[in-house]
Amino acid sequence: MSNNIYLNMRKSIILIPVLLLCFSFILQSIHAQSQAPPEWAVCAACHTIGKGKLIGPDLKGVTERRDKAWLYSFIRSSQTMIQNGDPIAVQLFEEYNKIPMPDNNFSDEQIDGILAYIENYDESAAAVMEQPTETPSEDEATYEEAAPGLKGHVKYGPGNTQPTFIIFLILIFVAIIDLVFTKIIKARFIHIIIILVSVFVVAEITYVEAKALGRQEGYSPDQPVWFSHKVHAGQNKIDCLYCHSSATESKSAGIPSVGVCMNCHNVVKNGKKTGTEEIAKVIEAWNSGQPIEWVRVHNLPDHVWFSHAQHVNAGKRECQECHGPVETMDRIVQVESLGMGWCINCHRKSEVQFEENDFYKEYVHFHEEMKAGKRSRVTVDDIGGNNCQTCHY
Amino acid sequence: MKKQHISFIKVLSLVTVLMIFASCKRDNNYTGHAYFPDMAYSNAFETYGSSPNYADSVVMMHPVEGTVPRGVIPYQYGAKSFDEQQRAGQELVNPFMPEKEVLKRGQEQFNIYCAMCHGEQGMGDGYLYTNKLFPVQPTSLRGDYVQNKPDGEIYHVITRGSISGLMGAHGSQILPDDRWKIVTYVKNGFEVK
Repeated sequence: MSNNIYLNMRKSIILIPVLLLCFSFILQSIHAQSQAPPEWAVCAACHTIGKGKLIGPDLKGVTERRDKAWLYSFIRSSQTMIQNGDPIAVQLFEEYNKIPMPDNNFSDEQIDGILAYIENYDESAAAVMEQPTETPSEDEATYEEAAPGLKGHVKYGPGNTQPTFIIFLILIFVAIIDLVFTKIIKARFIHIIIILVSVFVVAEITYVEAKALGRQEGYSPDQPVWFSHKVHAGQNKIDCLYCHSSATESKSAGIPSVGVCMNCHNVVKNGKKTGTEEIAKVIEAWNSGQPIEWVRVHNLPDHVWFSHAQHVNAGKRECQECHGPVETMDRIVQVESLGMGWCINCHRKSEVQFEENDFYKEYVHFHEEMKAGKRSRVTVDDIGGNNCQTCHY
Repeated sequence: MKKQHISFIKVLSLVTVLMIFASCKRDNNYTGHAYFPDMAYSNAFETYGSSPNYADSVVMMHPVEGTVPRGVIPYQYGAKSFDEQQRAGQELVNPFMPEKEVLKRGQEQFNIYCAMCHGEQGMGDGYLYTNKLFPVQPTSLRGDYVQNKPDGEIYHVITRGSISGLMGAHGSQILPDDRWKIVTYVKNGFEVK
C-alpha cells in the first residue's frame, strides 16, 4: 500500500513538469499570435497596417479586399502576375510608381502567419506591443556583467596599486621604529624580513607604475551604447573595413556614423543579448540627428603622427596586430601599450616588400646587397622607419 | 601584554592581505597617470570631438551650402525614388572596362561590403541571411532583375540604397571609383556557374 502511494507520488512528480511544459506551449502560442511573425520584417520595409502608404500600399483590411489565392501568388511573385496581365496587379503596379515588389519564397504557413497578423492587428494594442520587450533574464546577466573581453585581459596594465603601496611603506616605517626604538619584538630577523619584503614590493610597484605612465594598456571605458565587436565582427563575420572603411584611405580608421549602423539596424531591431534596448538608442540617434558620443579607446599623444592608411594599405598589417583580438571582445579594451618602444620594436622586425616594388627603387645600395647575397631582408627600420621625424615631425 | 601584540599583528596582516586583493580591480574608465604630458593633448579640437564654438558642437562640419570640395563631383540623384534611380541608370556611365585589375579590386571591395548579405557569388545567400541574422532575403545579383539593369542603376543603389530601404546607402563607405568597380564585378566578375 505504502509502495503504491510512493508510486503515485512519483507519477505526479513526473506529471507536473509535463503539464507545465504543455501550459507554457499554450501560453507561447497565444503570445505568438499577438506578436509579429519574423517574416513581417520583410513586409514592414514598404508596408504599414493602418498608418498610410509607404512605398507600397497600406495593408489594413487587405484580407477582405483580395481573396486568399490572389494574395498567395502576389506575395510569392508579383512580377509574374503583372506579366500575366492580372488587372488588379497591373493597376497597383502603375499606381505605385512601377516599383516592383520583390519575390518572396514563403511557405503557406508563413504567408498565413503574415495574413493572420495583418487581420488581427490592433492599432491601440500595437502601441503597447511595440514597447521594448523584456530581455531574457539569463542573457541579461551575461550582458550586464559581461565584458569577457575585459575579463580575459585584466593582466594588461597595472591594477590600482595605491593601497598596497601605502601599506608596505607603513610596514617599513613601523618595522624600523620597532627595530630602533620600541623593541617590542625581540627577534631582529623578523624586522629584517619585513623590511626586505616591503622594499621589494614598493620598488616593484614603483617600477610597474612608472612604466605605465602615459600608457593606457587595459583601458576599457564605458560606451554610450552597449556595442559588442564580438557579436558584429566575431559572430556575424562582418569585415572590419565595412564599418571602419577609411582605414585604407586615411590617417584615421574612422568611427562609423549612425548611418552605417542603420544599414542593418533599419531592419534588425532586436539584439540577441541586449534585446531592443541598445539598438533603440542607435535608432533614436538616427531619427534625432544627434551623433552618438563614443569614447575613444586607442589614442596616441598629439606629438605622434600615425596613419592607418600606411599601415593597413602599404604595410599590410592585420587590425589585430595592434588592437588585439577585437572579434572576441564584447567590450573593447586596449591590449597593446601603444608606447614608443612597442612601435619601434615592430619597425625593427617588420619586413618591407622590397622586390617587385617600384616605390623602393631608389635604395640602390640595399638592392645590390641583396643581389650579392649579403642581405636577406629589409626591415622598416632599415629604410628610415625609426628616424625621429618619421613619427614626430 | 604579549597577547595584545600578537592580535595586533594578526589584524594588521589580515587587513594587508584584504587590501592587496581589493586593489586588484582597476577603474576601467580611467586612462592612467601621465607624467609631464607635454604636447600630448591637442589644443586644437579633434575631428571626432565636440567644440563649444559650433551651435551643434560637432567639430566635423558640413561643407558650406552651395560649395563643392575639390575633386568631388556631387551626387545628384535622390534616394528611394524609382524615377531618380532610372535617371541615374540612363545618365551615369561606368568609366571602367572589365579588365583584370578592375575586377580584382571590385572583388576585394565586394567581399568587404556586399558579400555578407548578397553572398560571395551574389546568389543572395550571404552569411547574415543564411544564419538568420538578417531576416530579409537579399536580392540575387545573378538573376535577370539585377543583371539587366544598366550599370548606373546598380551604382545608384550602392550609393543611395535600394528603393525599399532594405539595403542602406553605402555612399559614405565606398569611394566612387570602387563603387564602379563593384558594379563591373557584379556584371562580369562572378564565376560562371
